[in-house]
Amino acid sequence: MPGRVRKRSPLKAPERPYIALGLEGSANKLGAGIIKHSPDGSTEVLSNVRHTYITPPGEGFLPRDTAQHHREWALTVIKDAFAKAGVSLHDIDCICYTKGPGMGAPLTSVALVARILSLLYNKPLVGVNHCVGHIEMGRQVTGAQNPVVLYVSGGNTQVIAYSQQCYRIFGETLDIAVGNCLDRFARVINLSNDPSPGYNIEQEAKKGKRLLSLPYTTKGMDISLSGILTSTEAYTLDKRFRPHGPSAEDSEDADIITPQDLCFSLQETVFAMLVEITERAMAHIGSKEVLMVGGVGCNERLQEMMGVMARERGGNVFATDERFCIDNGIMIAQAGLLSFRMGFETPLTKSTCTQRFRTDQVHVAWRA
Amino acid sequence: MTGQTKSPSLKLLDTAEKVSQGAEAKIYRVQLHPTPVCSSSAAAESGEVAEKVLLKYRFRKQYRHPSLDASLTKSRVAGEARALIRCLRSGVNVPGIRMVDAPEGILGIEWIDGKSVRFLLGGGAEGEEEIVEDATDEPEEGDLPPEEDQLQEYGISQDALMGMIGTEIAKMHQADIIHGDLTTSNMMLRHPSSRKGLQLVLIDFGLAYTSTLVEDKAVDLYVLERAFSSTHPQSEPLFAGVLKAYETRMGKDWAAISRRLDDVRLRGRKRSMVG
Ligand SMILES: Nc1ncnc2c1ncn2[C@@H]1O[C@H](COP(=O)(O)OP(=O)(O)O)[C@@H](O)[C@H]1O
Ligand SMILES: [Mg+2]
Repeated sequence: MPGRVRKRSPLKAPERPYIALGLEGSANKLGAGIIKHSPDGSTEVLSNVRHTYITPPGEGFLPRDTAQHHREWALTVIKDAFAKAGVSLHDIDCICYTKGPGMGAPLTSVALVARILSLLYNKPLVGVNHCVGHIEMGRQVTGAQNPVVLYVSGGNTQVIAYSQQCYRIFGETLDIAVGNCLDRFARVINLSNDPSPGYNIEQEAKKGKRLLSLPYTTKGMDISLSGILTSTEAYTLDKRFRPHGPSAEDSEDADIITPQDLCFSLQETVFAMLVEITERAMAHIGSKEVLMVGGVGCNERLQEMMGVMARERGGNVFATDERFCIDNGIMIAQAGLLSFRMGFETPLTKSTCTQRFRTDQVHVAWRA
Repeated sequence: MTGQTKSPSLKLLDTAEKVSQGAEAKIYRVQLHPTPVCSSSAAAESGEVAEKVLLKYRFRKQYRHPSLDASLTKSRVAGEARALIRCLRSGVNVPGIRMVDAPEGILGIEWIDGKSVRFLLGGGAEGEEEIVEDATDEPEEGDLPPEEDQLQEYGISQDALMGMIGTEIAKMHQADIIHGDLTTSNMMLRHPSSRKGLQLVLIDFGLAYTSTLVEDKAVDLYVLERAFSSTHPQSEPLFAGVLKAYETRMGKDWAAISRRLDDVRLRGRKRSMVG
């Protein structure tokens, strides 16, 4: 029988309803969401609107163009969020924005909008760590209590667990992020960026048949992904590679490699590494819950693999769908409102952005 | 699976007592040579008595592709055995090897009587659950009992323990072995009452490999440093003691590793973290 330690939550039930606006734009998604915390302890998503900057196949998103996209769409997305929520800017308690981490120009363009609204409507600002936003929204949506968090997105790959008012990073990538690895490979084989390169890799992988050998690199709870990307790319230069599937001359059982095989092999290998380091963290801290957040977290194959692992250990996996997994405004509102209720505000003079803002730098005042 | 198709090592597992499930393996305890050959004085003379052995069973991981699983399991077991042998030859304190069955995923090693460093530093036992109550709940009567000094029984101070850790890791690195998973769970303190006396023993070489590179040794230390700060937030300053002993043992090789460790730390903090 495992030991149990009792702790008391420092977050008091609100004496009246609180409403927050959350603005997110750290990468190529612009999001605005409105959340409500009620005295009975319930949390309600009033609206969650997003617009994604999609680039042509083979191209990634550049900071300047992405910032431009966010500036163009900010008003539309925010107005839409208020219309759907059925509240006005006067009704909200605070404006939460992503302080970082992320790309400089897009972050600043959204922070500017937040600052202007704050001055116009005389509402306090709350700067939010993007990663903590993902974790808090994931916990809220799934009800996971104290999970090991696998945070996998375009720019991040971290295994996180809560301890003593801090989300501590137990493991992470030693080079590139998993989403970045998948996206870059999608570009190599010219997959569409709509709705996202990762989604299209997942669809292609379903048609893959053979598992090609790729470097598998875990170091404790850390992983390395740059080698595997290079090796997968190298297969596209192999004589056996058929960019458009089997050619007319290829026999049924010919020794050929298709883009689908590469997507399949890449996913199987990279995801096995992710599940392995998550399992390592679970064993290490003694948790039976896993929460997956970040864009790659909505990959169904990854969810399936994680589920099998968690069940083998007598636990569960919690995942959210694309509304919450993919970057969004509501998660910023949720994390921001939690810290606002603990008395935290970001003064105008400090309402800057920071491209590097580690998950473990945040004081998680609202948890025991 | 039927009894007939079972390999001898899987049959041995059946007779073993499961003690825990770690990160990637199930851990069993078994008595090897359970039936001494009676009437044979040779057995008696060689001092062959039942010995406690730990079986580390890397069972099939259903979540990963079968061929990937088979090749990983085999290479991890073989790799762990190889690293242990190398350590033993170089005088690094590690458990002795008792049996290896790589295809089945089974490794038998000497049982260490003692506790993990993680436990001794008050990092909690594995499987400790936290229950969070609402702020409005009645206060619980009496606070948690003060943390006992787990080390007292072993007769050494925390600082001395840090020194032992640093020295043992340095010995391992001098033999060009990289552990690959240095955490406080993967080191044990042999109880002073055991036959070999008080000893720091490094375990779990499943991710170990050999390398002469300064980079690999620095990353090995960095992994442990992070494990200290995440598992033992209050004991973080203790890690300096580990490095001090490591430095002393490494001698002239320390300067290059130290410089690289600074680089690795910086890389960790500078890593791009976009969306
Ligand atoms: N030789 C040993 N003697 C006694 N206990 C051991 C020994 N090796 C491992 N253990 C215990 O079993 C746990 C898991 O073993 P380990 O080799 O670290 O496997 P895993 O890869 O599952 O972490 C260790 O944390 C330790 O408490
Ligand atoms: Mg271990």
